[in-house]
Amino acid sequence: MIKTDLLVIGAGPAGLCAAVAAGESGKDVLILERSHTPGGQLVKQTHMFFGSEKQHAATRGFDIASILLDKLNAMSNVRMVTNATVLAAYDDGLWTADILGKYEKIMPQAVVCATGANEKSLAFPGCDLPGVYGAGAVQTLMNQYGVLPAERAVMLGAGNIGLIVSYQLLQAGVKVLAVAEGSARIGGYLVHAAKLRRMGVPIMTAHTVKAAYGKESLEAVTLWALDDKWQGIPGTEITYRADTLCVAVGLSPLSELLWQAGCKMLYVPALGGHVPYRDDNLRTSLPHIFVAGDAAGVEEASSAMVEGTLAGLSAAEYLNAAPADIKERKNDCLSQLAQLRSGHVGERISAGLELARIKEAAGIC
Amino acid sequence: MNKTADIVIIGGGVSGCSIGYYLLKNGAKNVVILERDYLSAGATGRCGAGIRQQWGLELNCRMSKFSCEFFENAVSELEFDGDVEFHQGGYLLLISAEAELEQMKKNIALQNSLGIASRLITLDEAKEIVPYLNTDNLLAAAFHQKDGHLNPFHTTQAFAEAFKRLGGVIETRTAVTGVTVSNGRITGVETDKGTIQTGTVVNAAGGYAQGIAKMAGVELPLYSERHNILVTEPVEPLLAPMVMSFSLNLYCQQSPHGSFVMGRTDDSQPRDLRVSAYSGFPELMSRSVTGLMPPLKNLRMLRQWAGLYNMSPDKAAIYCEAPNVSGFYTAAGFSGHGFMMAPATGQSMTELILGLTPTLPWPKMGLDRFETGELLLEPSVV
Amino acid sequence: MLEQTGIPEASDINGVFPSDERLAKGPVAVIECFQRIPCNPCSTACRRGAIEAFDDINDLPKVNHEKCNGCSLCVSRCPGLAIMVVDMTYAEDKALLKLPYEFAPLPEEGSSVTALNRAGEAVGEALVVKVQNTPALDKTPLVSIAVAKDLARTVRNFRVTDDTSAESPGILRGDEAPSPMVCRCNDLDLDNIRDLMKKGFTSIDEIKRVSRLGMGPCQGRNCIPLVLGELSRFLGKPVSELDPGTYRPVVKSVSLGAVAEYDGEALTE
Repeated sequence: MIKTDLLVIGAGPAGLCAAVAAGESGKDVLILERSHTPGGQLVKQTHMFFGSEKQHAATRGFDIASILLDKLNAMSNVRMVTNATVLAAYDDGLWTADILGKYEKIMPQAVVCATGANEKSLAFPGCDLPGVYGAGAVQTLMNQYGVLPAERAVMLGAGNIGLIVSYQLLQAGVKVLAVAEGSARIGGYLVHAAKLRRMGVPIMTAHTVKAAYGKESLEAVTLWALDDKWQGIPGTEITYRADTLCVAVGLSPLSELLWQAGCKMLYVPALGGHVPYRDDNLRTSLPHIFVAGDAAGVEEASSAMVEGTLAGLSAAEYLNAAPADIKERKNDCLSQLAQLRSGHVGERISAGLELARIKEAAGIC
Repeated sequence: MNKTADIVIIGGGVSGCSIGYYLLKNGAKNVVILERDYLSAGATGRCGAGIRQQWGLELNCRMSKFSCEFFENAVSELEFDGDVEFHQGGYLLLISAEAELEQMKKNIALQNSLGIASRLITLDEAKEIVPYLNTDNLLAAAFHQKDGHLNPFHTTQAFAEAFKRLGGVIETRTAVTGVTVSNGRITGVETDKGTIQTGTVVNAAGGYAQGIAKMAGVELPLYSERHNILVTEPVEPLLAPMVMSFSLNLYCQQSPHGSFVMGRTDDSQPRDLRVSAYSGFPELMSRSVTGLMPPLKNLRMLRQWAGLYNMSPDKAAIYCEAPNVSGFYTAAGFSGHGFMMAPATGQSMTELILGLTPTLPWPKMGLDRFETGELLLEPSVV
Repeated sequence: MLEQTGIPEASDINGVFPSDERLAKGPVAVIECFQRIPCNPCSTACRRGAIEAFDDINDLPKVNHEKCNGCSLCVSRCPGLAIMVVDMTYAEDKALLKLPYEFAPLPEEGSSVTALNRAGEAVGEALVVKVQNTPALDKTPLVSIAVAKDLARTVRNFRVTDDTSAESPGILRGDEAPSPMVCRCNDLDLDNIRDLMKKGFTSIDEIKRVSRLGMGPCQGRNCIPLVLGELSRFLGKPVSELDPGTYRPVVKSVSLGAVAEYDGEALTE
């Protein structure tokens, strides 16, 4: 049995920042990361980050991961293990994990759940053909493993992921035939959209996939226009010869462990799915469990990093190891989050977060 | 919802649905089943799904033989538009101590006398059935080919659909909040959706049976204990029979779907109706099952869950009318075997409630045995 | 409209272009940032204070074109690649556009490329004047191209290769498509799920138990949200009122062998 003061689940932007913030308190921190590399989505994000300097704006995602890892590696009280999947949370306070192929039990005093999100899928005829991918999967293949999965691709979804991955497909030499977006407006940043358009990639709003076709694997994708009730309009079909269809229709928080642990949950569409109730300290309905990043509600990596820091500070405070300036630092996190959420999509997210907020946020201890 | 009913059955598990079916089949009218969640949401849908006839008590043998023969014909008998997935791959009961061997010899003699074709087999014969069985600490085994595995959800559906076809009414997502009694007689059932007037209540609430009884002012000597099960990813057929060891306290079998389902009894499990998963179960289960069948170490555990064993003092079922409340019937205390006994439960309770001539040994399974001390101590349970 | 097409319109571009007087004085930055998003590196990159400091990180950049000398420090710092530098004084009939360009191969200096507008359409020829790819640019190279002056507001990109093959979309297909796959682990398609709902299995837990939906290796991560959506439509209830079912251990499958070997001892360094 492993005993640790703080268990951080996930070494993505939120988990790394939580571990850095909590690690500074001197408490023992164990970060478990299911992938073989830390950094989560950061390592495959070849684009520059938005935000401000505090969230490493204008730095590329993989470089941000290195910066955070350097900080962690300098702390002797923080231990990170990759190839380590947390398997379950039990009602006696134990957590189990598959750590480098070994089954382990962990008894932490506090937990920061920073498990991230899962790509949503879409059910359409042919959606199970080889060649139909989640856009994030394609990004991993290309940017992390150096595998080019496509020659001719259609992208479904013009949110930031759809737009960014389309651009990266172009950079990798893939012909991107079209980006289809079900809603009437482009959901991602317009600067990303503009980058694609001036490369000649059509973005078709109010369009979705009707069907994917192929014998052994994907050979063609048919798109069609949607009416204002999101129903396909017969006669508007356009078929592309394509070997790859990327589905980028959003993410849902990976919240299974929080469910298992017994956190109070609710469904908030604006946050991507089921999320835990949490107070302003990012503490869930269970006093020793904190949440940060996409697991708390799907947002950008910039806010995930700030949330990670906030959750790490709150966990340190719960463990009676708050830094002297905790109030200032927490307030700084809160004001950064308020800024990041005041923009383009921020309004919707803020409204969603309000639903999931435990209002009577008392002191941590 | 009905305002009145001749008979209200509390509990939409396999027992409640079977009782409902047999009651209507035998002429009862206006029968309602109340289920607080959905059909088989409780212990039925969580059970290990084994069906066996190898028991050490005559009445258990007779009840289970009746049930097993029913299951063999359940699809046609219940006119079910589906498959109950009855797979008679046999039960292989492993024997690891002399005393156990002696008991098993007695059991087999009893079973054979009742027409159950079980037999004692050598370890070599056992290895013909399960070639990779680790026989190190074993002496022999008992085997009966007609035992096996059945899909609990589909079986309950089959009973429920037949019940409805005969005019029965099932109210799911309807929780019983009270049982009203007047002058020692049942007068009605209160639910979160309204009240039903009735003179007859059948308590088939599984793990919650003692709580329902309390509502009627009836004390039942029952408690509910959490039992865990795990299931693996499906693989090609590797294991035909249910393998069971009383000394290791475990059972394990491969479902027709390919997954392995296994459970064991662990001491000091909570008795507070909790059905959360137990953190210590995976390693205890894995250790004992891979010790017995080493190749299973390559299987991958997919999920773990728990359900309630409704335990009676002698680990045999209770079929009774409450001595102090007329019209309040109970079928409970199955101690982990309610699913496999469900047809016998339906037949027995019907005979009891409708006053029919007993064809099954239920008259010995009443509450009075705890007064008289004529306990039904079943030697062969996990 | 920009939000539907992703293409800034002429009025958008004119709105952020410097005055003709300023353009006549030499190189100057043009920032095509039309949407409030949380981002400020352009302002922090500028050493002349030409891009005003943001009160709110979501502010649109305000460029003081008089202070801007077209140094291009901001161009490769913009995460949205929304900045270029325009020099209308480059030559009598040519304007110089300094563009961020993140594609391989980079063009050769002195070569001719096809100039593209904001919709990616070819609008003329351009000459590659300079290619900068220093470490300071952090993998966002700057390419300066000379274009006809009257195209300065039109050109925003270029194409190195001569690939003009326009995609010919269009075959209509009437094929009967198969029912969409919902649960790959247990082979359930949308028709299967809808049939179960019609039979009265109207909660995730019931559908799970009757069909094994979500009980395979993916643990329901892919199929449960899809079926929640279907249930929501079928029952006419929002997903928030539906029970997503029970989440049971384990999140990822683990071999019984590994579990059996658990010895209770702590992981050592």
